[in-house]
Amino acid sequence: MELSRLRKITALAGVASLAIVASGCSGGSDEAASADNPITLTVTTFGQFGYDDLYAEYEEQNPGVTIEANNIDGSANARTDAFTKLAAGSGLSDVVAVEEGWLGSIMEVSDQFVDLNEYGVADVKDNWVDWKFEQGTDPDGRVIGLGTDIGPQALCFNRELFEAAGFPTDREEVAELFGGDDATWETYFDLGRQYNETTGKAWYDQSAFVWNSMVNQMEEGYYTADGELNVEDNEAMRAQFDLLAAGTADGLSANQKQFDWGKGKAFVDGSFAVHVCPAWMLGTIKEQLEAAGGGPETGWDVADVFPGGASNWGGAFLSVPESSEHPAEAAKLATWLTAPEQQVKQSAAANNFPSTLEAQQKIVEDAVPNELFNDAPYGEIFASRAEGVVAQFKGPQDSEIQENVFAPALKILDSGEGTADEAWDEAVSLLNDRVVNN
Amino acid sequence: MTTTLNRPAAGSPAPAKPTLTFRQRLNVFDMKASPYLYISPFFILFALVGLFPLGYTFFVSLFDWHLLKGQGEFVGLRNFQEVLQDRFFWNSLFNTMSIFLLSTIPQLIVATAIAAVLDQHIRAKTFWRMSILLPYIVTPVAVALIFSNLFGEQYGLINNILESFGIDRILWLNETLPSHIAIATMVNWRWTGYNALILLAAMQSVPRDIYESAAIDGAGTFRRFFSITLPSIRPTMIFVVITATIGGLQIFTEPRLFDPRTYGGTSAQFQTTVLYLYEMAFQRSNFGKASTIAWLLFLIIVLFGLVNYLISRRIATTGDDRGSGRRSRRRRRRSAPPALVLPAVRPQPPAPVAEPAPESTASAGTSQGKDERTTR
Repeated sequence: MELSRLRKITALAGVASLAIVASGCSGGSDEAASADNPITLTVTTFGQFGYDDLYAEYEEQNPGVTIEANNIDGSANARTDAFTKLAAGSGLSDVVAVEEGWLGSIMEVSDQFVDLNEYGVADVKDNWVDWKFEQGTDPDGRVIGLGTDIGPQALCFNRELFEAAGFPTDREEVAELFGGDDATWETYFDLGRQYNETTGKAWYDQSAFVWNSMVNQMEEGYYTADGELNVEDNEAMRAQFDLLAAGTADGLSANQKQFDWGKGKAFVDGSFAVHVCPAWMLGTIKEQLEAAGGGPETGWDVADVFPGGASNWGGAFLSVPESSEHPAEAAKLATWLTAPEQQVKQSAAANNFPSTLEAQQKIVEDAVPNELFNDAPYGEIFASRAEGVVAQFKGPQDSEIQENVFAPALKILDSGEGTADEAWDEAVSLLNDRVVNN
Repeated sequence: MTTTLNRPAAGSPAPAKPTLTFRQRLNVFDMKASPYLYISPFFILFALVGLFPLGYTFFVSLFDWHLLKGQGEFVGLRNFQEVLQDRFFWNSLFNTMSIFLLSTIPQLIVATAIAAVLDQHIRAKTFWRMSILLPYIVTPVAVALIFSNLFGEQYGLINNILESFGIDRILWLNETLPSHIAIATMVNWRWTGYNALILLAAMQSVPRDIYESAAIDGAGTFRRFFSITLPSIRPTMIFVVITATIGGLQIFTEPRLFDPRTYGGTSAQFQTTVLYLYEMAFQRSNFGKASTIAWLLFLIIVLFGLVNYLISRRIATTGDDRGSGRRSRRRRRRSAPPALVLPAVRPQPPAPVAEPAPESTASAGTSQGKDERTTR
């Protein structure tokens, strides 16, 4: 009995290893994966992506496919990882997540990515909100990125702190307080000053996030639609900068370290009362609260309002590099992962907001409350915030300008080391050093 | 064996050539070529992973070279010109120097002191020696993470303690000098024990009888340390200084992880040159300029190496030079009135007054010193 079973197993193992050898020989071929032709697909994502359960589901539905997942802690490191591997010409995963901020650089070498049109993406094109699909299309009409999530911005606020300052705490009243549909940055800063006067505390965590939000809602950001740099004599941008500088000078910035927040403690100890919240930020805040040992009792909530109107910040894409050995299988996986049904699940797992219309609708209908944010009707709020978002052209150095030109300049304001003029001049000088003359 | 076999072949005059058999020729070849073959692996490897990248880096530095888009047009030395005019390059050099000095100097002083203490007769010697090496085992990444927490501006332990004493918080990340001190602390924490152990090994090899005779002559602990220990470990000290210099000019991990979201602080206040190189290559995607920085850094390290070499040639030589140094010192001492030496020599009989006393205090190269004195 025992012996025969053992023999059977050995025989099976032999067959299996033969199969592996056979498939190894035909490696690189584009044959569809099956139990007889097993392949391994690698996927690299970053931050809170919420794909873990989806991988398992896909593996189950597609026998023969094994997914090797790799998650990088944040978008900046994912960028370095992707760029070095592109430069080396090897090592990229079969499916790579690309962040909106550095999509511009990827577009410059879009020929190194597979045109997903060849794999039937045109059929599902209408799934996405137009601008998201267009962002993933290069000037030659090749589709190199499929949208996963988008970052419509709402305003997070802390009920406890609002109450202490005598502000309303109901999220609808808060939306009204900021001006509802006509909310402006002026009101935002004025309320901040009022808050600061009564409590003596800061209003927002640091200036750079507010600045990103302001720039993202302009029609043209750091680049004009034609791809020209659009900073130095941009009066509209300068006006916003001064507005922010004035607020910061009045002590409204808590001068926190972005994406660090004292390992989340700043979200717990009442350092600041409002926070600009693109949909994915809820996932980030969740992570920070967990790190600092906070929960729903910390009083964070999210209101359906945003100063200056609709704004989108961030969101990601899935791409398949030309170096992939299984482009067809990889494209199939990327398409499946970004399909509405899966986006709904991703959104539930990662607290982000889907980029396909059907998924958005589904989330609104399901109306699953977000417990951490005082049971806020997450889907409804962000669907409403997504209305009127205009896609802004992102140039090749967009994230560089955001992180290494304006962030340092705004730090001068946050730490109170300079005036608005000095900070702006520093930004322009950094821009010349790092982008114009790079 | 081989040498004796070979001698006739090697020594034989030219006309004897045809008498060489194949074996003999093989032997000649063996004699001449083998040593080079034996040492060749290092040089082949060095050429592959040292020399070639060095040359290729220079090649890249002459081009516009984008990380993603690859080789661009030839620009000659323009990259060098631009980097040398770049305020961030000079800023990074300043930071490197500052962190290097803040780390190396205290590190060597403390390491020497620790080594001197461990060189004494203390209980549980091995335990103490192992303990000081412990920080070296911890990976720099972990060190950087722990210290970044300690040095946090708003929630860090150090600032919390300072505040509880009513002292203002120090902006460890945002101000230049505090950030340098924080990074130097990480470097020191990691390397002090390692250097102490090397210095300790050197100290152990100093003959004990020298200390004994010095002690008999009345030299106190500090006197023995400065006059015997330090001069004796000089060559090791130079080794430690050189390795610390090379390491100090290449500091990367600590500033990189002190604030992982930036490349050496929001306004590059603790961006070292290697970190600047890294940023240029992988954030700004400019391989040409990154290669240029690499080359400039290489030249700077070579320069430091030369300075080190010159200094070490002056102070680390054995025999004559050192002898002459001693001699002049001894002369100076001898010209001093003997009365000054006497009180120090407590237990000795006062009979042979002046002459032997300075002899034994200087002690190191005794016989040589005697010879010289007689010739004088």
